[in-house]
Amino acid sequence: MILSTFAWAGWANFEYRKQAAERLLAAAAKGELVVDAATGAEKYESPLTGKAAPAFELEDLSGNKVSLASYKGKAVLVNFWATWCAPCKIETPWLVELRNQYAAQGFEILGISTESDGVGKDDQAAWDKDKAAIAKSVQQMHMPYPVLIDGDSISQQYGGLDELPTSFFLDRNGTVVAAQLGLTSKSDIESNIKKALGN
Amino acid sequence: MAAGLALTLGALIALGQVDSTSRLVLNGSAVEYLFPEQVTVAAGKASDVVLHFRITQGLHINSHTPKDEYLIPTTFSIPDGLGVKLEEASYPAGTEFALPADPATKLSVYTDEFVIQARIVAEPGNHLVEAKLHFQACDKNVCYPPKTIPVAIDVIGN
Repeated sequence: MILSTFAWAGWANFEYRKQAAERLLAAAAKGELVVDAATGAEKYESPLTGKAAPAFELEDLSGNKVSLASYKGKAVLVNFWATWCAPCKIETPWLVELRNQYAAQGFEILGISTESDGVGKDDQAAWDKDKAAIAKSVQQMHMPYPVLIDGDSISQQYGGLDELPTSFFLDRNGTVVAAQLGLTSKSDIESNIKKALGN
Repeated sequence: MAAGLALTLGALIALGQVDSTSRLVLNGSAVEYLFPEQVTVAAGKASDVVLHFRITQGLHINSHTPKDEYLIPTTFSIPDGLGVKLEEASYPAGTEFALPADPATKLSVYTDEFVIQARIVAEPGNHLVEAKLHFQACDKNVCYPPKTIPVAIDVIGN
């Protein structure tokens, strides 16, 4: 009885500290909307800009592990999206066109599905349902780039991802050169892709 | 001059440019339960209770019957074992809404205030019920993760 109480207290303490650390991590990486003094328009500023993008390794829809590190040498757009996100669905055809336009210059998109519905692999039926919905969505929108799942597991490193879509543009060295929050415009995205490519 | 600005704005929207002004920074929940805090119903009999909710200005949530299979419907539920059973929930029809960047696609949403009519059956006694409202909110440019908020009602079954 006493041993199990100590074990429970130890586990609760570990969980509490883990969650506190995750909150701190997310707060440190969380961006904000600021008003551009020159244009008066709002723009998203991420503390990750100018830094190495947080490393990750996630599964694609076939179960293959895909790491960000394996894209070193390419300019990469890390696009967090979800099947339930209507603005993401407006943005995706723009991304598909831009990916096809700039792929030959060494550009790739990693679409990271962030369903944020609290479903983990321990609930296999719900996990499979999420995966099937993502796969169907990918097929319907003809997404030619790798789509990775379980973006929630890396959301803290990228600022919590409380709003979707959110995108990070990485240069060929893996450094974040720009970030975008929400639906902007195809030309804004293209401009940041060019920045990532060094054009 | 004003007409010129309006035309330019219209052209930008047509080109897929997006109004980026006044984006909301959401600190709390997008939806707030308003009332009633307490209801008295006949024990063992089905009774209708009208629940009032308010959505943060500038946001919308999907109605109970969104038009796209991927969108998350707003749903109300009462967990088992609280002495109050939800027999049926009646939801209002959504209003049509389109994102400025895609005027052709109509969404079915709730904005401002909305009500859900819950048909409940309460056991005799006083029950502190923590019902749940599940929804997913967006503004014109971003979507927030799906969320479940507690709906606290003191149900007295006489």
